[in-house]
Amino acid sequence: MPAWLEVAIRSVCILIGLFIITKFLGKKQLSKLSFFEYIVGITIGDIAGTMSMDGNIRLAEGITSILIWSLFPIAISFISLKSKKFRDFVEGNSTVFIKNGKVLEENLKKEKYTIDELLEQLRKKDVFRLADVEFATLEANGDLSILLKRDKQPLTVGDVVGNVPSEKEPQTVVMDGAILDEPLATAGLNRGWLKNELDKIGVAIENVFLAQVDAYGQLTVDLYDDKIQVPEPQEKKLLLAAMKKTQADFELFALQTNHEEAKQAYEMNAKKMESLITKLEPLLKA
Amino acid sequence: MTIGSQVKQSLANLKSIHATLQSLALKSVDEQAQRTFHEAMLTTEEVIDHLKQRVSQLEREEPQYKGK
Repeated sequence: MPAWLEVAIRSVCILIGLFIITKFLGKKQLSKLSFFEYIVGITIGDIAGTMSMDGNIRLAEGITSILIWSLFPIAISFISLKSKKFRDFVEGNSTVFIKNGKVLEENLKKEKYTIDELLEQLRKKDVFRLADVEFATLEANGDLSILLKRDKQPLTVGDVVGNVPSEKEPQTVVMDGAILDEPLATAGLNRGWLKNELDKIGVAIENVFLAQVDAYGQLTVDLYDDKIQVPEPQEKKLLLAAMKKTQADFELFALQTNHEEAKQAYEMNAKKMESLITKLEPLLKA
Repeated sequence: MTIGSQVKQSLANLKSIHATLQSLALKSVDEQAQRTFHEAMLTTEEVIDHLKQRVSQLEREEPQYKGK
């Protein structure tokens, strides 16, 4: 067997092997690379590289080495899942730097953090005044997490409107002009409905690049032909407008009629519509 | 336009609101939203019932405008 062929075969085998191993190591390794995992990754790569090039190393030896280097982290993460103590030992604990708005100097010293570095980390999180921080902790991976004081926290929807409807993820039902049946079923809809909705806005399915359904069954589309203007879904806006109009009508009727009983009934219904509007407004404006 | 036809128009509007609420209640994914839409639908039904009574009352008073 010529040398180049051996190298080729080895390389392909190792490539496939490495691919499987990285699949086993999982996504966690990608996002939260600890120093240990970083070194493990480099070493595995190095062993694989040497193995594929160097004909003197026997394949069995190389594979043993790679297996040990890759199985060890898997074993560690498996035991970490089971035991809290082991996890704390391997992955480390977070250290509290600021508590009740006060800097804990002892902990800073323990982590060898100077106050300048702490301020720098805070600035990176857009906090320029130490006084704005209620709580801050150094995570095991070296990131600083900050809880701002209540009056310094950014405004959320819940602060402004009470009883906010929960947001559900939209489903992508058409991609590249092809209907995706599974998301469509998840949204509780079917192809017939989709065809109907597309007909309503006058668009052929072949022209749809992407279509999504939101939590209220409203369809939004992006077309291949960008010159065509697609109307926005109006159903909820129209409903709100219709309800407001009916409420106003009732008030008008109540004013116009001389019939005492009818007047009261109209007023009551106007109130009912008003409470309906306040109840539905957050849902309909979402 | 007589008051009779105005009330009838409101009745038609309400029926459309009722239908839209019903379809939203069916299409919504979130249970809370479903319930809210459903409750709203029931409320509109009450209002519709009252309005229907009023319409027949008006028709008795003004038989010349009895609806088509």
